[in-house]
Amino acid sequence: MARKDPDRMDKLDVPQGTLELMILTILAREPLHGYGISQRLAALSHDNFQVNPGSLFPSLYRLEQDGQLKAEWRASENNRNAKYYALTAAGRRQLEQHRRRWNRISFAIASVLEGA
Amino acid sequence: MRLFHRLASILWWIVRRDRAERRLDDDIRSFVEMAAADRVREGIPDLEARRLALVELGGVDQVKESVRSGRHGALLDDVGRDVRYAFRLLGRQPTFAAVIIVTLALGIGANTAFFSIVDGLLLRTLPVQEPERLALLVAPPPSAQQSWTYPIWQEIQRHADRFDGVFAWTRFDAQFNLTQGGETQFANGVWASAGSFDVLGVKPVVGRLFVPADDRPGGGDGGPVAVISHAFWQERFGGAPDVIGRTLTVERVPLTIVGVTPPGFSGLNVGRSFDVAVPFGIEPLIRGTNQSRLNRRTSWWLSVMVRLRPRQSLEDATAVLQTFQPGIREATRPPLRPGETADEYLSEPLMFVSAARGQSGLRDTYGRPLLVMMMVVGAVLLIACANIANLLLARATARGHEWSVRLALGASRGRLARQLLIESLLLAAMGAAAGLIVAQWGSELLVSQLATDSAYLELPLDWRMLGFTAAMALAAALVFGVAPAWRAARGAPIDAMKDRGRNNAGSGRVTVANSLVLAQVALSLVLLICAGLFLRTFGRLTTASLGFDRDRVLLASLDSRRADLAPPARLAVYERIRQRVLAVPGVEQAAISIVVPLGGAMWSRRIDVSGSTLRGGDASDGPEGFGFTDRPIPENSPLAVFNGITPGWIATFGTQLLAGRDLSGHDGPGSPRVALVNQAFARKFLNGANPVGHTMHLTREPDSPAIEIVGLLADAVYRDVREPTLPTAYVPLLQSSEQGQPDGPAVVTLSVRAASSRPGLLTKAVAAAAGEINPTLAITFRTLDDRLTDTLMRERLLAFMSASFGALALLMAAVGLYGVTSYAVNLRRTEIGIRMALGATRGSVIGLVLGRVSMLIGAGIVVGLAIGTWASRFIATLLSGLDPRDPATLLASVVTLAVVSALAGWLPASRASRLDPTEVLREI
Repeated sequence: MARKDPDRMDKLDVPQGTLELMILTILAREPLHGYGISQRLAALSHDNFQVNPGSLFPSLYRLEQDGQLKAEWRASENNRNAKYYALTAAGRRQLEQHRRRWNRISFAIASVLEGA
Repeated sequence: MRLFHRLASILWWIVRRDRAERRLDDDIRSFVEMAAADRVREGIPDLEARRLALVELGGVDQVKESVRSGRHGALLDDVGRDVRYAFRLLGRQPTFAAVIIVTLALGIGANTAFFSIVDGLLLRTLPVQEPERLALLVAPPPSAQQSWTYPIWQEIQRHADRFDGVFAWTRFDAQFNLTQGGETQFANGVWASAGSFDVLGVKPVVGRLFVPADDRPGGGDGGPVAVISHAFWQERFGGAPDVIGRTLTVERVPLTIVGVTPPGFSGLNVGRSFDVAVPFGIEPLIRGTNQSRLNRRTSWWLSVMVRLRPRQSLEDATAVLQTFQPGIREATRPPLRPGETADEYLSEPLMFVSAARGQSGLRDTYGRPLLVMMMVVGAVLLIACANIANLLLARATARGHEWSVRLALGASRGRLARQLLIESLLLAAMGAAAGLIVAQWGSELLVSQLATDSAYLELPLDWRMLGFTAAMALAAALVFGVAPAWRAARGAPIDAMKDRGRNNAGSGRVTVANSLVLAQVALSLVLLICAGLFLRTFGRLTTASLGFDRDRVLLASLDSRRADLAPPARLAVYERIRQRVLAVPGVEQAAISIVVPLGGAMWSRRIDVSGSTLRGGDASDGPEGFGFTDRPIPENSPLAVFNGITPGWIATFGTQLLAGRDLSGHDGPGSPRVALVNQAFARKFLNGANPVGHTMHLTREPDSPAIEIVGLLADAVYRDVREPTLPTAYVPLLQSSEQGQPDGPAVVTLSVRAASSRPGLLTKAVAAAAGEINPTLAITFRTLDDRLTDTLMRERLLAFMSASFGALALLMAAVGLYGVTSYAVNLRRTEIGIRMALGATRGSVIGLVLGRVSMLIGAGIVVGLAIGTWASRFIATLLSGLDPRDPATLLASVVTLAVVSALAGWLPASRASRLDPTEVLREI
């Protein structure tokens, strides 16, 4: 896997089941290509999360198959052709659902941790 | 919505695979490019940047593979790949695949053929509306009567409002002659009550069906009408749309066709298809007012069915029925015969049984035998699958290496097993597809053989049949696919390290394979014994001496019942026809008789013969009179069978006159009574002494003159070739009328001997000759040869089927034996190679292999003989006197099996003996 860089802290893997939520959230702002998504994720999580491309790409393709993402090939920053993923209306609805669910989970966890 | 997207994307991936793959590739590679570009911007040199980017990605191909396996529809992809691979593998070994597919085709095809017949005959319900609400009126056992009289039907009709409709239908199909005279042309007919089609819920496809008015005596407003079946409409009228209103002449009565029943409806008698349906009201017109059964309280000829009300059960309906059964008894009691009391008439409580599947004579005769054959055929398929399993196992030995490599490269065992199951399924699917063709052909063949005249079973290639075939194929695939798949899952990757991964862990498998082959050999022997017995029976019957020449005689039945011929004039007309036919070129002889050989009819009388110890007055049982029956004549009863013949009858049939003289033209009504008898007669009544000169009396007519026996004939078949010759007496036709019935019989047979050996060619000429004398007689032609073939239909069918299955089983046993021996040889390659290197000769190697094979064959033969001799007693009744333990047949079967099996075992043995020892040694 990725060679450990002794300068950085060990990055955490994206928690089980949250990858879709994160992808949808990131793409809600603007369409991005695969590399862009992984960079954005690292940036937004303050370098805490790393996503394994071996998991990212399958998720992207599955979401595209389900009609929650649509893809478009256009020129990237380097002037190369890249596949940009964008959210569809269905994707937005799904994002809402994911979000609500996640809020419930995190609230529940927080409550348990507080109360115990 | 999501589902729709998924399906669309799966489809796109399949259809535009290359494009999709390229896109995927581009996508992943652009990731690498961008990651590399970023690192370059950070100052890392190009190559290093690229390497780091690839490491971050984790490998292009790995990621692509994760995408592929994570996709929806990935399984489909995999399976598709497996299927293509399986195809390629089979293509590399076409003979192997062909053997398996043909075996499966025969096994599955035979099963499907039998199933479709069993389904059509036993399982399927009538193609009418809600058949489960139909009920049949029957009497309970022991009488189990199902036929009723017309007056009884009329009584039931009066209570029709207690049910959802009632109707009556002939119990047995009638034969309607469609011609005006001369040669007959028969159509299958049924009599039906006017409400029949309504209650059944059958709708016409053209025109209309019966209405109540049609049932009036003499017909309704439009005159007598008839309804025809769809098949008849197509066959006779070519499906012409103007068939409504056309006239159909039935038994010389013109009927107007008013409608056509839909295709698929062939009547209520499963296994027979009707052509013409006629309402009861017209019955007196067709049968003649004197012969009409409508008023007869003694003619039992109808089936009565009702449609139950929506929530009425069979018990409810039966209860209702029993409330008015006394009324039926009263109103329909027939006139009593001496000795009968009124109490017995309809005394058992009548009841209803389900009529959802109609009635069927075919079902009654062949139902159980068919089920038994289904089991046999199922067993044959099982043996075939065992065979294929063995074959695949043997092949699996060679593929052990392939699997070890795949396992070492990371394939899961489940994946391997799945691949093998797919291979099995593919073979099964191809076998099933071919089997469907075999099934279609086979079932048609079977139906055509099952009954001699116009058996009809709809056997459409419908979902049930396809479903059954698919189920068989699946079951077969599982049976023979599981073994190799399991074996593959147990292979060890380390074998890939060896040059030739030979797995010696098969000893348990060998025992299984061996016992399967033993069972196959035994079963094949049993089937061979049966086949041998049936073949011999059939052979004996067809070559049996009949007592006459079978290939020169044409039989023509002359029916004067509906002809313009007054009964007193019959005999004279018959004689004139005979004389006229004698003049026809190509005719050597012609004669007329009351009973025709192989006709199934019997005319028996009780007699007193002078000088005989058997007296006519002896109280003993036996069938007397004229009828179509197969009851035998008991040994000790003074009964003989009779025939009324004209001079020339002996010459026509070629029966030998052994003593005395033939009948002549002088033996007429006024002359002394004479008769010829046969050897069986002499044996029975006179212990074989020459009967010429003796006299006999008819016991039932003590006032009639004595009959002098003037000639002795050689034994000839009277009624059935299977029974021993009946004691026969031949009287002149002109002297044959019984007391009180001076007119000649209404139906006689004209027998014509042809000069050539193709008597069928004389049909037109004879019909024309008869037509000159009386064109209104109904004539039905059949050659004697055909008649004989008809009567032996059952034996022929049994011989054919058992021989076919016996040969099939033998073939499969041989193939199984070959496979198992090959496998064993393969296992022992090293050992054999070493032996040969140490000096063993080819012969001794063959002996080594064959030794074990022979034990297997020997054991199989012993078991098979035991089962066969025990089981053959169950078919003894079908063997017409052949001993079920006939030693010649047993010996022939054993020898056949031994020879074939030895050959099957010898081939791999001989191959083993040609092994190059140096090559084998190198492999160790």
